[in-house]
Amino acid sequence: MSQPVPPVSPAASHDRPPVPVTVLTGYLGAGKTTLLNRILTENHGKKFAVVINEFGELGVDNDLVVDADEEVFEMNNGCICCTVRGDLIRILSGLVQRRGQLDGIIVETTGLADPAPVAQTFFVDEDVKRATRLDAIVTVADAKNLLARLADSKEAAEQLAFADLIVLNKMDLVTPAEADAVEARIRTINPWAQLIRSEKSQVPLDQVIGRDAFNLARILEHEPEFLSGEDNHSHDEEIQSLSFETDKPIDPEKFNAWISDLLATKGQDLLRTKGILAYAGEDRRFAFQAVHMIADGDFITPWKPGEARKSKIVFIGRDLNRPRLRRGFEACAA
Amino acid sequence: MSTSLNEADALLQTRGVSRNLEAWVMGAAFCRTGGTAAFALGDGSLHIAEVAAPEAEWQGIAAHEGSTRALVADCADGYLTGGDDGRLLRTAPDGTGTELGSYGAMKWVENLAAHPAGVRLAAIGRAVHVLDGKGRLLKSLAHPSTVTGVALDGKGKRIVASHYNGASLWYVAAKEDKPRLLEWKGSHIGVAIHPDGTHVVTAMQEASLHGWRLEDGQHMRMSGYPGKTRSMGFTQSGRFLATAGSEAVVLWPFFGGGPMGKAPTELAGGDEALVSRVACHPKHEVVAAGFNDGLVLMVEVTSGKVVPVAAPGRGPISALAWNPSGTHLAFGTEWGFCGVVNLSRQ
Repeated sequence: MSQPVPPVSPAASHDRPPVPVTVLTGYLGAGKTTLLNRILTENHGKKFAVVINEFGELGVDNDLVVDADEEVFEMNNGCICCTVRGDLIRILSGLVQRRGQLDGIIVETTGLADPAPVAQTFFVDEDVKRATRLDAIVTVADAKNLLARLADSKEAAEQLAFADLIVLNKMDLVTPAEADAVEARIRTINPWAQLIRSEKSQVPLDQVIGRDAFNLARILEHEPEFLSGEDNHSHDEEIQSLSFETDKPIDPEKFNAWISDLLATKGQDLLRTKGILAYAGEDRRFAFQAVHMIADGDFITPWKPGEARKSKIVFIGRDLNRPRLRRGFEACAA
Repeated sequence: MSTSLNEADALLQTRGVSRNLEAWVMGAAFCRTGGTAAFALGDGSLHIAEVAAPEAEWQGIAAHEGSTRALVADCADGYLTGGDDGRLLRTAPDGTGTELGSYGAMKWVENLAAHPAGVRLAAIGRAVHVLDGKGRLLKSLAHPSTVTGVALDGKGKRIVASHYNGASLWYVAAKEDKPRLLEWKGSHIGVAIHPDGTHVVTAMQEASLHGWRLEDGQHMRMSGYPGKTRSMGFTQSGRFLATAGSEAVVLWPFFGGGPMGKAPTELAGGDEALVSRVACHPKHEVVAAGFNDGLVLMVEVTSGKVVPVAAPGRGPISALAWNPSGTHLAFGTEWGFCGVVNLSRQ
């Protein structure tokens, strides 16, 4: 028994580009599922898979919906805040085994979910890294109720802190002055996320999908929008953001030593960190980001001729010591 | 003439039949009568080849909407498959399908086991459903988190299921279902039980194995794998656990007090490619291994002698199985290449 072996197409034809994954967070009732259904029903001709949690508020209108238990576990790597979503590892690895390329995967989290384990899953698991890439964390916030949610739950602030895009929804229910107050509060927590105001979750699809916000090359592409003046004094437990800038070139070894130690000791309080660094004697910009203790960094595009080579770092977290962080960063100068 | 006809490919070229089915091969199995081989694919299909005449057309069956996620030989003949359409399906040797369970369109039926004694297991979410040979639901066993692997011991009496923070041991025939919980913190992603029911071993997220000796609950930690172990099995004598996840076939000794304090045997290594699947021969101390570069080989445990079966280049090996008498080997790849090779004396 034998037959000629059929040829296989070359290896390159089997390489699938990583599927972009959009994570949709937001407090209960903010309009997450409405936004999700808008994305799915818009006539875009794209094929999405949707991962929802089992306590979803509304039905989701899509061919390919997977029901997930949000199962978080701690990695046994000695890092106590390195929690990941085991269910996502399984589902994302499984979705790419299906026939046909997906245009995207949308993961909807429960209202009470901490986004950190979702984000960390994309940094930690080899299979997930090979098959997918984190496109953006999109947080839907309810303009009418956000301030109340921020006062009574820690998750509401965490979801804003992690966001690359914040959809400030239900604008029809607030006055322009109220909206500005909510936006100002959001900016104390997260200055770099793009913010879109909407009514009834009406947001153009391309604003939400395909943002590529986790690409190191695009870090801090949007200048953080800081409010004038110093940050308002916040309670230790409140999430705030700090940013520092220096004209002096950075010594890579000093920076690595400082940031490694900082993330190792303070990583639980540091939700997200992003930086663009001008290393001494290096024409390329070095981009850096971290989710809690998990960091990723690489050289990206060169500085433009004549461009001011400013190094910048932004922290979002709790209990941040501004003078100490500033001294630490400035001490990294070459 | 043909550049692919090299030494490593000789057995496939001269004693094999293969097809290019163009979807991720999720599983391969021979039915217990040995009459057919089956391949389950990521497009939801099941393909069945006659072992006596594999060159004849293979029967293609649209088994599941979406993807077929798991395939095992059923208790007596035919196959069980699970899909991401939430269905558990039995397919008879002639291709006739019978739905044994439907658990919801958004649920995946990812882990199956069956035993000739008339036991079938299907894990869906946190539950393991236990069915008898007639398809009747005997019981549903609840776990603290999603079940990532199920196995039955050699007699088909004990069930083990892996999940977060360990594994649970159950008896098929227990009047009162209270599991013995084998605890170890972390995410366990697959499980094997020694055929004699003496040890349980799980694969872990952190690319290591964890095990328990059941008589005294003694823990075992087996680490050093460069990748996750997605495939493992005991050799027919029960002396070794063969595991994937490294550049070599890593075999842990389960005799002479092992594996505690014993070094594993590493066979058929040398290249950079990782072993992605292993399948232990049903009669001899021989292990078939598939690598993530597409290489398939057999290795004899005692001598370490290696015999190549199929050359690299057709996609990472994602499925591998022996027939019950150990004369035929079936393999499949992530690219959809499927082969059946006749290794009997001719």
